[in-house]
Parts: sequence; C-alpha cells; structure tokens
Amino acid sequence: MRQFLSFFLVSLISFCTLSTCAESPTSSADYHEQLVLRPLPLSALLASFNFRSNITVSEFEAHNFRLFPRSLAQILQHAGTRELHLRFSSGRWDSESWGARPWDGAREGGTGVELWAWLEAETDDEADHKWLTLTNALSGLFCASLNFIDGTRTTRPVMSFQPEGDHPSLTEANTHLLFGVLPHEVVCTENLTPFLKLLPCKGKAGIASLLDGHKLFDSSWQSMAVDVRPICPAGGECVLQIELTIDMVLDIDRSKRPRDNPIPRPPPGHELPCNTSKPYHSHDTCFPADHEASQDWTLSQIFGKHMKGTCPLTDPAVPPVCLQVPNSRSVYVSDGVLEKKNLDRVSRCFEIRPDANFEMVLPSPSKDDQQATSLIVKPEAPLLYAERSFTGHGQERGGVQTILRNPSSDTEVEFIYMESLPWFMRIYLHTMSARIQGTKGDDNSVIQEVYYRPGVDRARGSQLEVRMRIPPASTVFLTYDFEKSILRYTEYPPDANRGFDVAAAVITILNKDEPKTGRFAAYNLRTTSLLCSLPTPDFSMPYNVIIFTSTAIALAFGGMFNIMVRRFVAADEGPELGLKLLKTKLKSRFAALFKKFGVGKAKGDQTKEAEPQPAVTE
Amino acid sequence: MDGKVTVGRTAGLYVGAAVLRLAIFTLLPGIPDLLTGRVEISTPVTSFKRLQEGLFLYNHNVSPYDGGVYHQAPLFLPLFALLPNASSYPIFTYLLYIAVDLLSAGALWKIADSGEAASSALFTSPRKERRWSGFVIAAVFLFNPFTVATCIGRSTSVFTTCAILHAIAKAVSGNPFGAMVAISFAGYLSLYPFLLVPPLVLLCYDKQRSGRATKSVIPFAATSVSVVAGVVGFLFGMSYLITGSWEFLPSTYGVQLTLSDLTPNVGLWWYFFIEMFDSFRSFFLGVFWLHLSCYVGGLTIRIRQQPLAVLTLLLGIFGIFKPYPSISDTSLFLALVPLYRHVFPLMRYTFVIAAVILYASFLGPAFYYLWIYAGSGNANFFYAITLVWNLGQSLLVCDLLFAVLRDEWEVERPEMVGKEIRQI
Repeated sequence: MRQFLSFFLVSLISFCTLSTCAESPTSSADYHEQLVLRPLPLSALLASFNFRSNITVSEFEAHNFRLFPRSLAQILQHAGTRELHLRFSSGRWDSESWGARPWDGAREGGTGVELWAWLEAETDDEADHKWLTLTNALSGLFCASLNFIDGTRTTRPVMSFQPEGDHPSLTEANTHLLFGVLPHEVVCTENLTPFLKLLPCKGKAGIASLLDGHKLFDSSWQSMAVDVRPICPAGGECVLQIELTIDMVLDIDRSKRPRDNPIPRPPPGHELPCNTSKPYHSHDTCFPADHEASQDWTLSQIFGKHMKGTCPLTDPAVPPVCLQVPNSRSVYVSDGVLEKKNLDRVSRCFEIRPDANFEMVLPSPSKDDQQATSLIVKPEAPLLYAERSFTGHGQERGGVQTILRNPSSDTEVEFIYMESLPWFMRIYLHTMSARIQGTKGDDNSVIQEVYYRPGVDRARGSQLEVRMRIPPASTVFLTYDFEKSILRYTEYPPDANRGFDVAAAVITILNKDEPKTGRFAAYNLRTTSLLCSLPTPDFSMPYNVIIFTSTAIALAFGGMFNIMVRRFVAADEGPELGLKLLKTKLKSRFAALFKKFGVGKAKGDQTKEAEPQPAVTE
Repeated sequence: MDGKVTVGRTAGLYVGAAVLRLAIFTLLPGIPDLLTGRVEISTPVTSFKRLQEGLFLYNHNVSPYDGGVYHQAPLFLPLFALLPNASSYPIFTYLLYIAVDLLSAGALWKIADSGEAASSALFTSPRKERRWSGFVIAAVFLFNPFTVATCIGRSTSVFTTCAILHAIAKAVSGNPFGAMVAISFAGYLSLYPFLLVPPLVLLCYDKQRSGRATKSVIPFAATSVSVVAGVVGFLFGMSYLITGSWEFLPSTYGVQLTLSDLTPNVGLWWYFFIEMFDSFRSFFLGVFWLHLSCYVGGLTIRIRQQPLAVLTLLLGIFGIFKPYPSISDTSLFLALVPLYRHVFPLMRYTFVIAAVILYASFLGPAFYYLWIYAGSGNANFFYAITLVWNLGQSLLVCDLLFAVLRDEWEVERPEMVGKEIRQI
C-alpha cells in the first residue's frame, strides 16, 4: 500500500511538472534573465544582469504571485503603489572613457539610494502617508535606511519624470509622484542578499549565481535597480512587470587578483605590457601599453565563481549570456555551449545547458587579431557630459557649478536638470546663471524654463528643475550661489566634520521622437554626489555656553536693576556696609559680653552704631 | 561749539556724508557685496542678499515666504520692485540707502536741537548748558564707521533706524500721531520697536502742545495705542494684499520669536540656542524674550521724568539682547548717546568701555575668519568675542543709566556735585 502510494505521488508530481512545462506556454515567457558582458577601454568590463518577470494584473490582485516576489508585491498593494523605481548605486561612471551608459542611463541612480514611485491617492496628505508606509516597508525589505526618507528628503518632481508603464485607470489628480534620495547611504552586501531573494532562482542557478558581494561592491561603478511598472499591450490584458537590473563595471586587473593574496604588487619587469612602437623602448625603458590590449579573462576569474547552469524557469528563447566583442576575436567556452554570433558583427550570445556549469575564456588576442581590427567594441559617445562641483571656500557660503557639454557637432540637446538639495543649503536663485563657454554674461537661450520650490528650515528640501537647451558642440556653465546654515548641535551626525552628502543632480535628456516611440527620455544621467561641509559648533560644551551666556545676561540684568532700585547717598552717609559693618557689630557684641561677665570696662561701649540717614531721591 | 549753524554747513555735512558713501559704492565696487556678506552687518532678518532673493521670487510669482531664505517685511518687496534691478543698475539702490541715512540724520538733528535730552517737561538738568549742537550729533551719526558700514552693506535695518528716529523726532516736536505712525512702521519692519511704545507715549504726553493737551495719561495712552494698532492693522492688510496670504506672519515675526535660523551674529542668542537641549528650547526662548521686555517697565517707571533717556537706554539694550542684533543697532544707540553729553562727566568707565568696544570690533572679524575660513579656530572664538562685545555694550548702558540717575539726584542734593557717592 505504501509503495503504491509513493508511486502514485511520484507519478502525480512528474505529471504536474510535465504539464506545467508543456501546457502553459506563458509560464516560461513570463520570466527571462540575461547577462551582457561588454569590455570597456582601460581594462574595465561592464556586466549587465537583467531579470524580468511579468504577472497579469488579475492574478496580482488575486494574490496569485507566481514569479513575482510576494514580499514586494504585498508592499506595493498595501501602499497603493502603481509604479516603483528603486536604485542602489555607488561609484562613478567614467563617461569620458567608457562612453554612453548602459540602458541609456534608465536603470541607474545617483550615489546612495534613490526611490521614486507613483502612488494612488486622493490628496497630498494621503500620498505622504502612503509614501511613509512604502519607505518604511522597503527599508525592512532591502535592509537599507529608506525609512530616513522623510519630508526633508522627499520632493515631487514636476518635469523630470514620466511614468514608464501604462496607467489607463489613473488620472493626474489621483496619481502622485514622489521622489526620495539618500545620498549618504552606503550600498553593500546586506542590500544584495534581499535583492537576490526576489529572484525566482534566488541566486542558486543561472546568471544570478555569479553575483557575489565581494566582487559587486569592489567594482568601479555599480547600480542595482528594481523597476515595477504596469504594461498594457494593445488588446491584451495588462501585466505588471518587475525588472531587476544589476550593472557593474569591474576593474579586470583588480578582479583577477587572487583572493588569498589581494595586496597589489607591481608586476616584475618582464611581465609589464610595453608599447614597443615607441622609439625609446628598450630593455630598461617601458611605455605602458594601452590597457585594452591586456583584456584577457575567464568568467570564473572575474566573478570568483562558476556559473551554475541556467535557471529552469527562464525563457529558453532568450540566450542567458551575451558578450560584446568583435566577431573576429575568438572566445573559448565549456562543452555543450552553443555560440551564436549576431549579425551586427560585434556581439555573440551563448546557449547554455541547464545543468552544466558554464565557463568562458576571453584569451589575449593573437598577433593577427591585433593587426586586423580593434580588440573591443568602441563605446558610443553619450549625448551629454555633465560634471558638478562646489566653488568658493570657507564654511559660510559657496556656489555650485555644473559643466554641461554637448559633444554632438550638429544636434542641439534639450534636457531637464533636477537638483533636490537639503534645506541647510540655502540657495540664492537670483544668482543662477547659464553661460556658454567663450561668451560673456548670461545666455538667455540656454535656460528655457525653471521650476523652483524653496526649502523650508527643518521641513522641506529645495527642489530645482531647469529645462535647458545646449547648442551643438558647446559647453555650458550653470552656476548658482548658496549659503551654508549652521544647525542645532543635536542635528549634526556623529561625524559632523566629514560634511553632508548632497544628492546627485538628475539629468533627463528629452526624446525628440516622443510621440513616435512613446519614450519620454532619450537618455538619463546623474552627476556625482557632493560633500558639503557646514560650520560646526563646539559639541563638547553645551553646559559652558549656557553658563557663560547666562552669566553675561545676569551681569547686564543685575547691573541695570541694581542701579535702578537702589538709592544714592553720599559715601559717608547711610548705614555701614560690608567689613566695616561686621567690625562694628563684632565690637559691640564683645563689649556686651565683657560687660555681662564684668571683665573690666570695655571700650566697645563707646562705639555707636551709625544711624541710617535715608537720602531721599524722589 | 555754538548752536548757530548756517545753511552752508548743513548742506556741507549732508553732501559730505553722501559723497563718502557714494565714493565707497562706486570707487570700491567689491566693498558693498563684501559687507553684505558679513555676519556683523547682515542678519537673516535684514540681509540685502536675502532681500534680493525674496524680490526675485516675488517677481517670478513664487511666494518668498514659502521658503527658508526671506524673513523680511512684505512691503519691502513692492518698494524694491519699483527700483531698477539692483545687480544691473545698483546706483538707484545706493541712492535710496544714502537718502534713508540722511533722513535719519535729519531726524536726529531735530531731536538734538529740541534739547529734550537735558531738559524735559518734568526735569531740567543742572548741566544742560553742556551739550553738542544738532550739527555735531548728526555728524557723529553720519560718519560713525558702524553707520557707514551698515549703509554700504545695504542692510534693511536702516529703514527701521530711520523710522525709530523719526518717531522720536515727531514725539519731541509735539506730534503724537506722527510718532505713533512712525513707530508702527518700525515695529512692522522688525518687531522689537513695539517695545518702545510705552516710553514713546510718555514722551508724546509730556510734549503735547499746550493748546489741545489731554489732561490724563490713561486716555492719551489708549488713543496712542489704538493709533498704533490701526496703522499696524493697515500695514498687515496691505501685506496680505501684496502676498495673497498670511504666511508672511510666521516667516517674518515667527522667525524672530522662535529663532529658527541660527546664522551667527553679534548677539547672544544664536550660540546659546545651537547648544541648547531640545527639551528646554521653548522655555529659554520665553525667558530670553521676557528678559528683553522686562527692562521696558522698569526703566519707564524709574526714569519717568526723562522718557528720551528711557528710549536711548532701551535701544542700547535691544542692540545687545534682541534675537538678531547687528552693528546697525549699536550705531543707532551710539547715535543717541551723544545727546547726553551733559552727563558724560558722571560716567565712570568711559575708558574701559571704549577699549572693550574697539577690541571687540577689531578682533570679531578676525576670530570669525579663524573659525569659518582658516579652520584654525572653532566656534568658541567668535562666541567669546561676541560675549566681550555685549559685555562692553551692557557696561555702557549701565554706566549711562548711572549717570542719568545721578544727574537727577544731584538736582535734589546740589551739594553732592563732584563728591563720592554710593548706593544702598
């Protein structure tokens, strides 16, 4: 009986597994994952992990979450969130050498944590309440300090963001966009672990098995993104799409360092890659060769792990790993992996067996390759370069200067520049100017439109959105002044003299073909965050200050009222005071004592107490 | 110094003062912006740079009070909006500030020439012959470095100074209505002048024209206070019409009452409330305001015979203890002190006071630089020098009070002139 039962159970399970695989075609198309590797100049490697799953809205509302992470879904439902974007980033994207950003910058945030969401609410207060719920819940889910996104760190952008998904049921009135940013947050392993738990294969199989905190947070630049948006295909049922993205730029030299000997040491002379074409090259003179020449690595070297097959739930039609190198370069892969070179001649993808480990080797190029073509795909130039820095010195006031460069020689670029600044930077908008390099004074054609909401002390940060247009091949300097305010001593963090982080400026380049493509932004970028040092009081002496100030006040108060209430008399008038009075009193007491005991005649008898002679003033 | 002043000398004084200011404005174009940024001159409630920001927001239809920068009275906005842009045509702003300084000097001249300081309605000093003419007193005001620096720094406290001086000038010339209107303007601009109303009412009462004098002081005071209330109500109404909401009230007067902006200044409040424990903040705000207002009643009653002396001493006290003092308040006090030349011989610590004030004036900017820019000092440096500065000023106020009271006393005890005395 027992044997029969177990047989029955096994067959039932196998039937079920088979049937789900065979009978529901949507289940496999509902999830796919892909890793794209792109070697960059200067011995860097961009690895873009993308995980996407869909769920129909009706299933979502019926709490039938399937591939959609239940923990996140319940938070979204509870907080009335219609669309959510969450970013954890660190490092700096070096656009001068690495070119345009992955995903056109749409999947990255500024340093720290960024969160923006469209909430369904009737009033602003209700939206704030839901936002509080959302940030606190996400804070617990992602082990990040998102609960510190309070009123001073939240803004309501007006021009910079548009929903990415389709929201047929929502109107302007009941949708609220809130944007919060925590530039001080240090993104680390404790944020990666909950991130991986949102994936159907939990980092145990597929490309997610390559993700390791040691490598991810050792990278030159990394950004983890969570995007949830509803998508309504024409004629079909609306689906809720969650897209998890991790982009990282690995320094290959650093990644290849063995973990047991991580201290970098200069390589011995014979291993230095030298540029032999220089005339002064000799056995003891070396001009370092371009780093890209040495771009040779294996997948397990740079990620520190092997890739464990594929996730069984993924869509088999999407190749899990792609590599963007010219087709002329040879790449070695493990057995049973099918390499498919794409028609664009600069990328190839690999079909991987679900159960076998995957390994890939990019060997150093042969002599023929070096002469034939470029070794890596030349990065595309971005639409705009932006750099932001502080000007001025001292802890009283300063300025912010953003240098924006349009590299294109024939098209102008139109974008929205958004800053959300802490309230203790009091910005002077009347000093804002945009100057094109090489010209004098303001150029009125650059700034098209300004939206500004000044900050309120301890309640709200400043929000500045500027729509700008930069002519081709020109550089614009956007500057404004601000004043650093001094805070109450309890409002400083423990490391007060480190300074305060100022969130990255968000630049959204507008898409000129928006009506055709439906995309609002053609390209996004963030500047680096800034560190603003405020004047600090002396934290060690609150008691001393209270005492000193109170003393000064008491001196003035006492001095004034002393003069006011006391009467004037001549120096020799009025009652004796102080020592004289004491002396007289003592003398008379002693005299009385002597008299009582009859010890001779005391001289004290003659001492006469001075009669008070009141000198009338009024 | 004889009292006769020709028209030529008057014009010479005013032209000289105007030319000095205009020369600094035009020949040293970096100086105005430098002084505007100094914490000793510009406080959060008087800064010209913040005024410009408020004006910019006002001109672009953003409410300047919905932010943490602009804390000044709403009527400044249309006034400065009428002037051409201060950054492209600064000369009009310069001329306005110079004119306000000259108007203040004119009012001070009138006060000095009335002789009210030495002989009021109820009291005549035995030393009243010993005084400076209006010319000298106006010159001392106009060429006081603190006054010049305030004017060049374009602090809006010059408007308050002008209104207070005009209120006193109207009062001594027997125009109670004008005095009340002027003090209402001053109070509307910076709140603390409302505390000057009691002595000012007494001054007006004492100097009523004999023809239509009100006998009793109570109805007179009631009428005066209702005039102040009416004018202030009218000004608030105008402000409401200009800004379209009442949010200017918490942003202008609320900031002075709660000290939410802790920018350093020469006063005692800022560092105290930076270091204050949060649970005691409201208590000490109450104590500080109570302390500021407690002098009004005491002085008004004690020196009932000389209301102008009460006003002078109160202005000195406000220059020390108000929430956002600047050297402009000191310059107003120092403008009125020379009216009491007749009691100068009775003052005991003149040398100490002069030395302390000079010491603090020179070391203050240096210590601020050490803290903020050089980084070789900390906040205690600047705090210590503000303590010294305020102690020096309070010594001056106390000493002047002593001299005024002794002068009164010597009327009753003429034989005590020059003798050593003490207080019991």
